[in-house]
Amino acid sequence: MIVVLLLTSIMLVTLDLRDSGFVGGVRDTFGTLFRPVERLTNVITKPVSNAWRGILDYGDLRRENLALKDLLVKQEGTAIAAAASVREAQELLALNGLPTLAGIDSVTAQIVGQSPSNFSQTFELNRGKSSGIRVGMTVTNGAGLVGKITDATLERSVVMLATDPEYAIAVKVGNCPVGATTTVAPTTTVAETTTVAPSSSAVSPVDAGTTIPGQTTTTLPGEATTTSSTTTSSTTTTTSTTTTTSTTTTTLPKPTTTTIKGFTPFSTTLPPRPGGAGSQITIPDTGGLVPRETGALEGRGIGRTPIIRFVQASDRLGALCEGVPVVTAGGSQSLAPPDLVVGTVARVVTRKGTAGPLLEVDLAANLESLNFVRVLLYQPATEIPR
Amino acid sequence: MNRFFAVIESPVTRTFLLGLVVLSFQTTLFNTLRPLGVVLQVMLLFACVSGVVAGSETGAVTGFVFGLMYDMVLTAPLGLSAVVFGFAGYMAGGVNAFVHEARWWVKVIAVAVTSSTAVLLYPAASLVVGIDGLLGSRIVTVALTCGVFNAICAVPAARIAKWALVKPVRQAVWAE
Repeated sequence: MIVVLLLTSIMLVTLDLRDSGFVGGVRDTFGTLFRPVERLTNVITKPVSNAWRGILDYGDLRRENLALKDLLVKQEGTAIAAAASVREAQELLALNGLPTLAGIDSVTAQIVGQSPSNFSQTFELNRGKSSGIRVGMTVTNGAGLVGKITDATLERSVVMLATDPEYAIAVKVGNCPVGATTTVAPTTTVAETTTVAPSSSAVSPVDAGTTIPGQTTTTLPGEATTTSSTTTSSTTTTTSTTTTTSTTTTTLPKPTTTTIKGFTPFSTTLPPRPGGAGSQITIPDTGGLVPRETGALEGRGIGRTPIIRFVQASDRLGALCEGVPVVTAGGSQSLAPPDLVVGTVARVVTRKGTAGPLLEVDLAANLESLNFVRVLLYQPATEIPR
Repeated sequence: MNRFFAVIESPVTRTFLLGLVVLSFQTTLFNTLRPLGVVLQVMLLFACVSGVVAGSETGAVTGFVFGLMYDMVLTAPLGLSAVVFGFAGYMAGGVNAFVHEARWWVKVIAVAVTSSTAVLLYPAASLVVGIDGLLGSRIVTVALTCGVFNAICAVPAARIAKWALVKPVRQAVWAE
């Protein structure tokens, strides 16, 4: 009897791993039979579950609520700026005939349950095939990639999280140029005439928020403002009859350095001013843009950050460093459309030999507090049933 | 009509119905109650107590069936929990063979030990079929928590399992 059970198990595991239609059919049938029993039990046990949560989670919930309110205030302004940037990016993509996420339909679904196992990381959604959801579709939330659909019935579907050991997806990683330093070409000398009070014997300090020529200021959401320093030599001439001070500002060539990971500052000059001297336009230096490298993101289970394999640290591509963004690579064989935010590199683990480094990734989406998610109605070619 | 009742009353039907009910508790109530972040394994508990109540072979079959039902609602390969739970049921039944007239607390310990062992075996079995990454330090916490919980619930669970598995419900399960 024991041998029969063992052989049956082996046969079932083999059939399931080879995506047998028989196993899928059995699972569907059992799900149909089991669902009413589960619903009934859920109704009966709900008061107990709620009492348990009320006793243990109330304090955490209050603290989380306050923290979220603070975060919301901070994010509102950023969200508006980001929306404008996204729109601009989409227009550019459309102009160049490139694919964009905006063209992919999506379905919003609520998480109604999670895996009853200590090992698999899955959630159940309240939408299924009737909403167009199919196996393999990508699931995201406002922050970034969440996972993929692994099972779909008429009204329900199951999401495997990106941290599950069975999850893997092709991603792009931005590289840090060595030292993250570029040299700004010498810019033109700008002559300005400023009228100052007679008592002034020196140039007044520049007010905060005033942009001076040759200065590159970069501000990203959540990042500190980085300002490049420029050497300014001033010559002040004061006559007895007039109160006009002539100030000559000369910008010397000096490296522009930023601490923002994965961001390379490029030559930026003042926008044209009517009648102003040295009118120039801003042209991004494409040579200074951060190159990207493709790797495979793999989940590692509960409480462990996913890792990226198969990346190379070569001089041509620049150094891999912490904090650089990770986005989906896309492509005909990929599980997700391109340029979907995944997260940032949390740690770079260098390995000897030709194995290449391992990158640990902090996912942008907080998988521990998911409620509503968005299912992109994009079924990868590899997930379409044969 | 008598035949219908005979089918309903048979241990196979009772075990299947018990499995459905226990599974529904596993996916609802015990999915919410997560002490130390651990999902308590009631399906495994019933697999183990079945072995203690009805012997190794019945424990193995019951564990296999309960594991198979559990696999149906998981994304793990079908048959993986079945083989682990079947093994747990078989091992738990061994207490009757190894210990002569085992006292109730010996049976409780047997349930706790086999439950913890099964929890530790699951990632190992997953590794065999190519699912990596389940073995970690957290597995110890999971195994201990499940073992303690299953030990606490062993006595009432055994009474329910006996009702399902053993036809004449006359003798107390834990009677010495």
